[in-house]
Amino acid sequence: MQTGTKISAIAHVSLIGWALFGGTFRSEPLPMAVQDVSVVTAEQFAAMTAQKDAPELAPAPTELEQPAEQGGTPDAIEPLQQEPQRPEPVTPAEPTAEPEPDPVETPPEPEVVEQPETLPEPEPEVAALPEPPGPEAQPRPADKVAPEPIAPPPPDVKPDDVETPAVSLDEGAEVQQEQQDQTAPEEATDEIVTEAEETPELSPRASPRPPARPSRPEPAQEPQVAETPEPAQEPTQSDQGAINDALAEALGGAQEPSGPPLTSGEKDAMRLAVSQCWNVGSLSTDALSTVVVVGFSLNRDGTVVGGSLTMLDSSGGSAGAAKQAYEAARRAILRCGAKGYDLPADKFAQWQNIEITFNPERMRIK
Amino acid sequence: MNVLGKFAALGALALITACTSNDPSTLGGGAGGNGAIVPGSPSDPRSPAYFQQAVGDRVLFLVDQSTLTPEAQTILQGQADWLLANTDYVATIEGHADEQGTREYNLALGERRANAAREYLISRGVAGNRLQTVSFGKERPIEICSTEECYSKNRRAVTVLTGSTTG
Amino acid sequence: MMRLLTSLFVGMTLLAVPVFAQNGPLRLELDEGIIEPLPFAVPTFVPDTPAAAQYANDISRVISADLTGTGLFREIAPDAFISRVSSFDAPVQFADWKAINAEALVTGAVNVSGKKLTVRFRVWDVFSGQELGNGLQFAGTTDGWRRMAHKVADQVYARVTGEGGYFDSRVAFVSESGPKDQRKKRLAIMDYDGANVQYLTDSAAIVLAPRFSPSGDRLLYTSYESGRPRIYVLDVGRVKRQELKTQEGTMSFSPRFSPDGQSIVYSLAQGGNTDLWKMDLGSGQSTRLTNTPSIETAPSYSPDGSRIVFESDRSGTPQLYIMPAQGGEATRISFGQGRYGTPVWSPRGDLVAFTKQNKGRFHIGVMRTDGSEERLLTASFLDEGPTWSPNGRVIMFTRETQGASGRSTLYSVDISGRNLRPVRTPDGGSDPSWGPLQN
Repeated sequence: MQTGTKISAIAHVSLIGWALFGGTFRSEPLPMAVQDVSVVTAEQFAAMTAQKDAPELAPAPTELEQPAEQGGTPDAIEPLQQEPQRPEPVTPAEPTAEPEPDPVETPPEPEVVEQPETLPEPEPEVAALPEPPGPEAQPRPADKVAPEPIAPPPPDVKPDDVETPAVSLDEGAEVQQEQQDQTAPEEATDEIVTEAEETPELSPRASPRPPARPSRPEPAQEPQVAETPEPAQEPTQSDQGAINDALAEALGGAQEPSGPPLTSGEKDAMRLAVSQCWNVGSLSTDALSTVVVVGFSLNRDGTVVGGSLTMLDSSGGSAGAAKQAYEAARRAILRCGAKGYDLPADKFAQWQNIEITFNPERMRIK
Repeated sequence: MNVLGKFAALGALALITACTSNDPSTLGGGAGGNGAIVPGSPSDPRSPAYFQQAVGDRVLFLVDQSTLTPEAQTILQGQADWLLANTDYVATIEGHADEQGTREYNLALGERRANAAREYLISRGVAGNRLQTVSFGKERPIEICSTEECYSKNRRAVTVLTGSTTG
Repeated sequence: MMRLLTSLFVGMTLLAVPVFAQNGPLRLELDEGIIEPLPFAVPTFVPDTPAAAQYANDISRVISADLTGTGLFREIAPDAFISRVSSFDAPVQFADWKAINAEALVTGAVNVSGKKLTVRFRVWDVFSGQELGNGLQFAGTTDGWRRMAHKVADQVYARVTGEGGYFDSRVAFVSESGPKDQRKKRLAIMDYDGANVQYLTDSAAIVLAPRFSPSGDRLLYTSYESGRPRIYVLDVGRVKRQELKTQEGTMSFSPRFSPDGQSIVYSLAQGGNTDLWKMDLGSGQSTRLTNTPSIETAPSYSPDGSRIVFESDRSGTPQLYIMPAQGGEATRISFGQGRYGTPVWSPRGDLVAFTKQNKGRFHIGVMRTDGSEERLLTASFLDEGPTWSPNGRVIMFTRETQGASGRSTLYSVDISGRNLRPVRTPDGGSDPSWGPLQN
């Protein structure tokens, strides 16, 4: 940079020189005048592009505006069920599945077990992304500053699995199931590392297809909704189930020792278990600066009590951001607890109710 | 600074390299000259081709600089002499930059360079109303490699004869 | 129900107390998670009629591509799907989607009736079994199917990430072809993803740096058609353009609209000096904002219109400065090594994106408006000219490769520095300007 400094010094001296001598040098400045607005002939350009232009700009947006108005924001959005002309598909489920209860976000379509598996398959070629990143993946940006990659702890804890007991605050009658652990979880874990490593390409990856449609072996405590129950009742059912479970546990718990507090190792294991599923990769920067506290209860087998999840507190972000942050936390708890958290059974009373503070500060994009 | 050496080479270069972007045939041809010399050819001292090749139509600049080097001043002195002798011609001085630098900054830098050349010519007596400036920033390199060898030739101010003031 | 459970907890605590001391819930704090794209599935939307099948397929594909392209989402390939969605109204088989680890699910249906195209969709949080937001329907014409797909994807993006999307937007840029020393440049406009390119000028004159108006209806750009760089404003809808009456005989360039679209700020070069000027578009009156012997260029307004960030070499090298919008004292904000240029204020107002040149490399970076927390997002032989996505999450810029065969390409990168990817254009591309979300 020394040369640069010298050069710049020279430049400045010369500039100053010019400023001083400017009078002499600029004895004849460029002619200056103000010009009227000159409309340059645009005809040829119009001709060149007009046809292309019209269709693209005019029709689509105007047409689209209507729906947008309908629901500029998710809240204001008109729920679909009010759409009159929608044909009612004839499905066994239909009657009870009952098209969307309310504008409220609770169309908990109960699962219909007897849904035929042999339904005509929709085109699977959705997979073909128009932009296959792979080939074009250009040299990875060397000096790029990526947020610290957070390498997930080794998947020694709970792999993400999928079975989940009933969930959600508002109820979605959850039919839980138990199955296929190895494949899906493994993949997710790998992904984590890669992505955190700032490897650029996020080309879609195929999730290994599970062997077959899982049977639903154990209904767990959660009332398994086999036949399309009415959504309205569902909450009651789940609640009832949850309450019954909790009651049973509480009663039982009273008689058995709660055991000593969890050791720090045991707590760490639990934290690790949840953190493996706490994915903040898709959160807005706002949500990434929001701390949420989530409370939930566990069954004796370590699975999450249906409907027990709740956001106890949030700070640092807007209500919208808190919602996204909570949803990410909820996904983490449900996904990683799908097979039940591995906690010492003799200390059930110590961990049956849990509050986790999710603080994304360290993972924020600064 | 080996740039000096390059300037030496440049003199030779200017002699052998006709500027491709300026077609002498379009320049309203400096008529006249003695019969032994083909009018308009580089050997005709009154021709634009002579101006380009013998006098030298361009000066080069150091990185980020718009200061005229001694070599540049020598060339510009030659241009001024020619323009004073051939008062029929007006000129546009085109400022250019190498590709290192943003588009906007290089436009401004090219204008600085063109203006540096213009001011020098005016200081040597050329009427200011015969000299226009324009900058092309990094839009029109003459050499397209991405090394200093090319960059040094692209950091330039080129005096382009744009026609004669009278017929 | 929450209350019920809470009181239940209290009850349990009471019951437990006599036997062993119970300290309430187990409290844990997590400050470390993972950063990975969220796995989602978009089973092909259900066509109401056979005529809608192709649209359903194409729309689903564009939605997937939009989401995947953000780097925040990862598509689960349809061949992994366990259940098929054959009816938009049938209950979702959440277990099947959990089984393949899809965290978000987008279901939809497409109806075509003559020229009219209707798309309806829902977004599901698979693991909680809840719908995110409410089902929504867009109606339009069949030739607008891409925009409708983008609109759906914008909704999905917003519902999962919590910030607005950017898919239904357009980008103006300079289409480039030919070798470096004879490059042909044409003004062009396209969808954000490179589709639907249309050209707004021919390649007779060099054109540079188009800039969208805040509402997206006009473009400012610089053209050499008069022989020297001058600023033009082009009505995008009517493709009608007009030269702005900056001082004759000067070079004017690097224009940018004010946030209200009523005025522009630009660079004017005369007599070897480049300063910033502002022009009121209504009256055509220009006023000078800077008056120094140094180069001032590449101005960009803050979103509230109160300040301007720009590039100046008044310190000896190009650096970034901020001054009041009406001119006045400027504060330098860039202090790192190297040279800084082309600052662009983010739509959220908190960041400035810039081009940085240091040690023979170029970078696109961001810093806070006080110059703190500088982060470089890219590095290459030549990166320059950042522009922000409407939601402030993504930056598009120009990357030029080295050497005689060098070529310009548009790239985009997430402000985290991840997900760097080229934007496909028919020819080379440079000087992108990202327009607003369309209505």
